[in-house]
Amino acid sequence: MGEFLTTPKPILLDVRLNYLQNYLQTMTVANTQSTIPPAPKKNWQRFSLPWGITITYLSIILLLPVSALVLRAATLTPGEFWRLATDPVALSTYNITFGTAFVAAAINCMAGTATAWVLVRYDFPFKRVLDAVIDLPFAMPTAVAGITLTTIYSEQGWIGALLAPLGLRVAFTRLGVAVAMVFISVPFVVRSVQPVLQELDHSIEEAAWSLGASHWETTWRVVLPPLIPAILTGTTQAFARAVGEYGSVVLIAANIPYQDLIAPILVFQRLEQNDMAGATAIATVLLVISLVLLLMVNLLQAWRQRYEG
Amino acid sequence: MWLDNWNQWKGKSLKSWIWLFLVAVSLSSVISACSGYGGSSSKKELTFVSYAVTRSAYKKIIPLFVEQWREKTGQTVTFGQSYGGSGSQTRAVIDGLEADIVALALSADTLQIQNAGLIKPGWEKKTPNGDGIVHRSVGVIVTRQGNPKNIKTWNDLARDDVSVVTANPKTSGGARWNYMTLWGNVTQTGGTEKQAQDFVTKVYSNARVLPRDGREATDAFFVQKQGDALINYENEVILAQQQGQNLPYLVPDINISIDSPIAVVDSYVDQRGTREVAEAFVQFLFTPQAQREFAKAGFRPVIPEIAAEFADTYPQISTLFTIQNFGGWNQVTPQFFGDGGIFDNTQANITRR
Amino acid sequence: MRVKPKSTQFHQGREWGKVALIAAVVIYLALVLLLPTLYVFIGAFSRGISPFFATLTSFDFTQAVRLTALAVGVAVPLNVVFGLCAAWVIARRRFRGRTLLLSIIDLPFSISPIVAGLMLVSLYGRNGLLSNILQFLDIKIIFSFPGIALATMMGGMPFVAREVIPILEEVGTQEEEAAKTLGAGEWQTFWRVTLPSIRWGLFYGVVLTTARAMGEYGAIAVVSSNLIGRSQTLTLYVEEAYRNYDSQSAFAAAVVLAALAGATLVIKEFFERRTRIKNEESLEE
Repeated sequence: MGEFLTTPKPILLDVRLNYLQNYLQTMTVANTQSTIPPAPKKNWQRFSLPWGITITYLSIILLLPVSALVLRAATLTPGEFWRLATDPVALSTYNITFGTAFVAAAINCMAGTATAWVLVRYDFPFKRVLDAVIDLPFAMPTAVAGITLTTIYSEQGWIGALLAPLGLRVAFTRLGVAVAMVFISVPFVVRSVQPVLQELDHSIEEAAWSLGASHWETTWRVVLPPLIPAILTGTTQAFARAVGEYGSVVLIAANIPYQDLIAPILVFQRLEQNDMAGATAIATVLLVISLVLLLMVNLLQAWRQRYEG
Repeated sequence: MWLDNWNQWKGKSLKSWIWLFLVAVSLSSVISACSGYGGSSSKKELTFVSYAVTRSAYKKIIPLFVEQWREKTGQTVTFGQSYGGSGSQTRAVIDGLEADIVALALSADTLQIQNAGLIKPGWEKKTPNGDGIVHRSVGVIVTRQGNPKNIKTWNDLARDDVSVVTANPKTSGGARWNYMTLWGNVTQTGGTEKQAQDFVTKVYSNARVLPRDGREATDAFFVQKQGDALINYENEVILAQQQGQNLPYLVPDINISIDSPIAVVDSYVDQRGTREVAEAFVQFLFTPQAQREFAKAGFRPVIPEIAAEFADTYPQISTLFTIQNFGGWNQVTPQFFGDGGIFDNTQANITRR
Repeated sequence: MRVKPKSTQFHQGREWGKVALIAAVVIYLALVLLLPTLYVFIGAFSRGISPFFATLTSFDFTQAVRLTALAVGVAVPLNVVFGLCAAWVIARRRFRGRTLLLSIIDLPFSISPIVAGLMLVSLYGRNGLLSNILQFLDIKIIFSFPGIALATMMGGMPFVAREVIPILEEVGTQEEEAAKTLGAGEWQTFWRVTLPSIRWGLFYGVVLTTARAMGEYGAIAVVSSNLIGRSQTLTLYVEEAYRNYDSQSAFAAAVVLAALAGATLVIKEFFERRTRIKNEESLEE
């Protein structure tokens, strides 16, 4: 770091910022390397208490129920399963569900990061109120969320009335589904980024400023990069949640197949028809696709950490 | 050095204490929450499972029964009441919800429980009327104030300039009544099945929204101001009226009898030893006292004297058909609402347009 | 002396940029969050203040609050313990299948409540996988409290882990290793070195898991017997009220849930302020 400070000024700011970025990354790498423990002397040492608790809890609360569902789906013949899972209505619901969830997650990604930024770094009146409101979508029963959003965004509602002259119908359309999905996943990105932003070391920023970097450059090249894992994590969770949402979407959507019928509602329909097999098949497909997508994003994160560090 | 040992011991035992504490808290909550019922014979517990809109009626009827039963036998009966979507309640009972009495929205649901082996066949005959039906309703059309579109009958719903709100038969067992009313409107007045299918397809293509059930259909129409006409059940609309949602409605003269069944769940009452009380309760529901409460809550009574008392509220229907006209639910459910059934064809035809 | 960035001649521009960003965020939150919340509050008091309090003091409501509190009281501590353990395992070790574990932990987010209910019924129901064992042992899981607890735990499982992992990774092991060289035991290190550094992530995780536990509806609707005044959580109470055209009670209950969610944040504010005061005091020394 010493030669860094004594480098003569004519050297481009760019170069200096690069140096700073590399410095940051080597710090992360150093930390990563130091967290790899030496090989345990005895095998039983590997099964420490944290491991035990993690695996037990995970198994009982999550894996056992999931396997019950999968086993039930496995009682169907592969042909049966395929037929039920690739029913044209089902296919359209996968498309609508994952597509709309993606859009909602993207919106949350950008807006959520901006919100976390504003909440951590700036001070303005009612900031505390805003901070407190962020978690509401989790605590609010989905039925109430659904009723409220539907009413506000319907053609006579507070916001719907403003959008109607523009030709935008929100309630009872796919747009409404997107709004509901955005609502219920607001906390994810914000709460993911907030703690990381709060813990961020100001001295790195100040170092960049002392080298002559502008505010914008500092933000973009020094502050944002460490936030990317958190942003990505939050967005992934927002996406996952949007995919599974039922209670609020069922109220705001028209639930017309091929238009705005989402997969969880289709599962419910199959149940009402006493079609356990169909419900199980579609639920399993939803589960598998979600797991694959989550895996892909997490692998991307891990790869990034390993190779860009 | 002893300080190190002390610290280590303290650390270890602190860890285990906290662990124990958390486990103890969780366990005790769990145990206290699922402590069983007392089994003394001077107290009986009944679990009563019904569909959603009946709550206001049963909230009045149950205390009357409790009172009467205490006078007659000296036994105190407490009721655990559960209300929810008819289909969901059915599934819950089949999956292990130990209901003593089930009052569902349509016999198809009670038949499902019968098929699961929890109710013995012949439950219909155990009621005074011999058909297992404890109250009735009919289909109605709700319009806007002043009925601007001049809607008079079911046929008007197939007009091009009318948009309709009706619950989705796929997500609501109760909504199947609406579908069958429209179907019967054609077939019970001399039309063919093909004509019926065309008619129903036209009506459902006029539906921009298919809410999950009757309750949400009401909201979509009243609060979200969707559609020109709402197809719903008479009791649902009366309940909404009693809660302040007032719009004109008409009761078409060609209509289906929406019959709500009541049954004692044999497996559970025998298991819990509540058969006597449960069966007494079911019989009580057919007394004038109870039927009057049903009538006040928007349901058509099934005994003549109360029906006469409330003749003004519940207009007579000239052409009233029942689900038996279509072969009963055992036939209707798979034929109309199963996968690839008539409703699915209806929907496919609409989307193709 | 605080260092400032060079572009002070664009100070005005930066100020406007800041205001614009705040305004944009506020508008976004208004559209998506604040207006709906306002609507709920208005709806709760739509018939006046006394009906609101009448609802709040009714027997069914207080029982619902009790059940929700019980479910949250069981689910949240267990989730916290799990979250810390899982975060420790994932952040402090590199092992094969680490990413898979992470993805599995994230899975509950995407499990639709209906599917979650379906799973629990497939496992513990009368026709479920474990039905024979449960009947033999005479244990009731679904349609009884344990089912509600399990459903609540599943929904909020990932939060603590997910909030703590990035912080643990960011903070690094230097301090922990230093503590070890000074002779601290594993538990001591955790309690006095690790925990303070992850406290904000942990706190956010707890806040989120609590909020989620309180708001859980779909899965609980399937596994609860939904007996009024006995096995209804606040969310089930809301649904019940709504079904019976009693929107005012439904909104009143929603207001209570929102207030409880807000309460956890008030606690956070309290601790934040205390820590700030402590930090300032130690700086002045």
